[in-house]
Amino acid sequence: MEKRTSSPYPSIDRPVLAAIGVVLVGATAFFAYSDRQHDYKWYQAEFRSQVAEKFGDEKAAGVRAGVQQVWIPGLQRADRCTTCHQAVAWKGFEDAEEPLRTHPPEILKAHPPERFGCTSCHGGQGWAIDTAAAHGEVAHWEEPLLSASLGDAYTMGTNKGALIQMNCNVCHRYERETPGAGMINRAKALVEEKGCRACHVINGRGGTIGPDLTAVGEKAPEQYDYGRLSGQQTAFAWHVAHLKDPRALVQDSVMPNFHLSTTDAQALSMLVLSWRPARMSADFIAGVPRADVQTAEQKRAEDEMKTGPGAWFVQTGCFVCHSIAALGVKSPAQIGPDLSTAVDDTQKRFGMTVDDFIMNPTGTMSVVLTRQIVLDTEQRKVAIQKLREAFAEHQKQQAAGAAGPAVVSHQPGS
Amino acid sequence: MKLPFIHRAPDEASAPGVHPTPFWSLRPRTDRESGDAVVSNFMLHWFPAKVYKPSLDWNYSFWLGTMSAALFLLLIVSGLPLLFLYVPSVERAYQSVKDIEYVVTFGWWIRAVHRIGAHLMVVAVVLHLVRVFLTGAYKNGVGAGQQREWNWVIGVVMLLLTLFLSFTGYLLPWDQLAYWAVTVGTNIASSVPFVGPEVRELMIGGRTIEQATLIRFYVLHCIMLPGALGVLFAYHMWRVRKDGGLARADRAAVLPAARTTAPVASKTYTLLGVARGTAPTVRTSSLDAPDLTVNAVPDLARRAMIVVLATFAIVSLMASGIPSPLEEPANALVTPNPAKAPWYFLWLQEIVTDTTIRIGSFTINGAFIGGVVLPGLLLTVMTAWPWLDRSPASAAGRWFPSDRRRQNQVFLLIVIVVLVFTVIGMFLRGPYWNLYWPWESWPDIPGRI
Repeated sequence: MEKRTSSPYPSIDRPVLAAIGVVLVGATAFFAYSDRQHDYKWYQAEFRSQVAEKFGDEKAAGVRAGVQQVWIPGLQRADRCTTCHQAVAWKGFEDAEEPLRTHPPEILKAHPPERFGCTSCHGGQGWAIDTAAAHGEVAHWEEPLLSASLGDAYTMGTNKGALIQMNCNVCHRYERETPGAGMINRAKALVEEKGCRACHVINGRGGTIGPDLTAVGEKAPEQYDYGRLSGQQTAFAWHVAHLKDPRALVQDSVMPNFHLSTTDAQALSMLVLSWRPARMSADFIAGVPRADVQTAEQKRAEDEMKTGPGAWFVQTGCFVCHSIAALGVKSPAQIGPDLSTAVDDTQKRFGMTVDDFIMNPTGTMSVVLTRQIVLDTEQRKVAIQKLREAFAEHQKQQAAGAAGPAVVSHQPGS
Repeated sequence: MKLPFIHRAPDEASAPGVHPTPFWSLRPRTDRESGDAVVSNFMLHWFPAKVYKPSLDWNYSFWLGTMSAALFLLLIVSGLPLLFLYVPSVERAYQSVKDIEYVVTFGWWIRAVHRIGAHLMVVAVVLHLVRVFLTGAYKNGVGAGQQREWNWVIGVVMLLLTLFLSFTGYLLPWDQLAYWAVTVGTNIASSVPFVGPEVRELMIGGRTIEQATLIRFYVLHCIMLPGALGVLFAYHMWRVRKDGGLARADRAAVLPAARTTAPVASKTYTLLGVARGTAPTVRTSSLDAPDLTVNAVPDLARRAMIVVLATFAIVSLMASGIPSPLEEPANALVTPNPAKAPWYFLWLQEIVTDTTIRIGSFTINGAFIGGVVLPGLLLTVMTAWPWLDRSPASAAGRWFPSDRRRQNQVFLLIVIVVLVFTVIGMFLRGPYWNLYWPWESWPDIPGRI
């Protein structure tokens, strides 16, 4: 080029420009290369060679290459899991190692992946196509893969893979028993057995002493107080610890300690976290109950009690926690002591007469009588009268020598 | 006016000095054609024909304005593919960003280029402003009719547009980071006295950050603000030329008078083919000092190319190495702890916290002082500064001139304070806005399972 100025720059600037050109080309090559790097390419090649080995080259040619996805508009899910997990619908890979293993076929009959996707049940991040991100083991993804290794991290005992049952119960929450969801079934039985509804609204029914648990699975992990929890700070770990000893986490809790085993606490925590709205149209959950209603048996027993000699206790709500055996009232929860002997009990347990106790209750009953069953002075007098009648009836039955109904006495935490 | 189009004559043999290459095939046959070649050359009107040589020095301007322009160009180019992929709806925005991140070919890189380019543009524009202030480049020199002070005002407006562009882009991924950064940012705006809530309502299109906010920010981000910035950028460049180039070029005029060399009689001069003679009829200081100037093409063009391409290369490499964050989907019910404004507003958030004083039940609201009074005052003084600066014209276009020492010191002090507050806000503020030293770990962020 003809030299038109006395500029000293070309000798420096031209090599600099050339060097930057080289860097730019290098940078472009680098991102283009990075964009092509994915684990799935390796897995797909591996699967193709395995298929070729087992079924011949013709079948192997039919193995799909590239990113695969199940797109379910109704669930707003695009699950790309089958990009790596290619053997899901193939027969013959039942014993292969993940990600190239056949999915157990029975459960897929009722839950075809093309309708429900993968992450609805398994958790994880369907959008992603690389292992860590797809399994949700990354920051800012709150639905990790509910895998056996996650169960292992929580020392889930014999059934490490059970965590996935949480997601079963998002749709199956109103079923009493769900086949294959053993931990959840156990937890549901515990809810009835321990009488959680005495204090909590569960599936729309229950008391108001404790918080409503209908949508507690939606509560954000940041909204729990981890101040007194050691170890992992997760909502699940919080619930396990809280169920095992409520007051260890929430000091002024009135929730009794049920002395649950670790497995029971884990089962209940799974159940509790599964109580979240199923955001899907009704046709996805056709065939499962849509409400948790009392059984005919429960209703009949309740109606009988409502009209029997202990009707006052039933109508007032005492029976939610207390049986009154002498009057034939049986509490479904039996959290508190039998009220047949309350007149005697208040002396033994609190050192005061039943009159004083009802007028100025302490412990759990002070909470119950200010929040759950609010009675004015007149009504409290009636209560004392009713308790005396029950005690009289109890004594009468004892004196009759007949083997009176065994008094069930549960020790509440207070 | 129709510009003449110059055709190549294919059958003609190459004239001496004319290079018949595939990309440059101009062979003017008349003086008029030569003139038209100049008149219709885009590069020669983007740049002046000749440039004062020291204006090209790396260590005078650091080419920060060019860098800002290169980043703006890169942001437009990288934003175009994102326009095709991103869905501005509260239901779909987050998912579309996930798709861009995970499965769109080069999507993660395009998004990273856009994000890093945006952050760097804020940095480059601020540094450009700092450079212009320190060198007094907003001052008029010796040229007649110079209005550099107005170009400074335009520059300040362009800085605000850059910040607002970045801020509006912040919301679009619709994740927790986006939602709460915009919440904090717009809450600061709501502390304007009397009309605060109305200002916030105008900004976010309602009382909560929702679909109305998203579409508002989206349109501002993709159309209004880039359009405004583009127009101002063109005017900014035009004004630089009208004001006689960089302030430094004015120094050429105050240098010892160039020698008076008689025009060489043997050379023929022509002015765009319109006039012709044996002596130039136009005298300018740059023509007077041929050893002080270089041709814009190629010397200025090459340097500009170096800066632009180097900027692209740096952003590309950073984009390949730094993953773009995408947090949980936006959730109005869960406030992340700490909730931080975008980093360039963190100095304000920091000042807001530090000026919020509680004496018993009595609270002096810091948002008004830190969010309105202080930045408003700074902005007003900064905008008006060219008229407040009484230093002589000879102080323009020089680093740290002695007659501007005091104002440069005060300006640098303000810059350092802003920087320190930004760093505190970025790196030392943890949950509950408590102070955490870098060696102290934050409490774990809880997860669900």
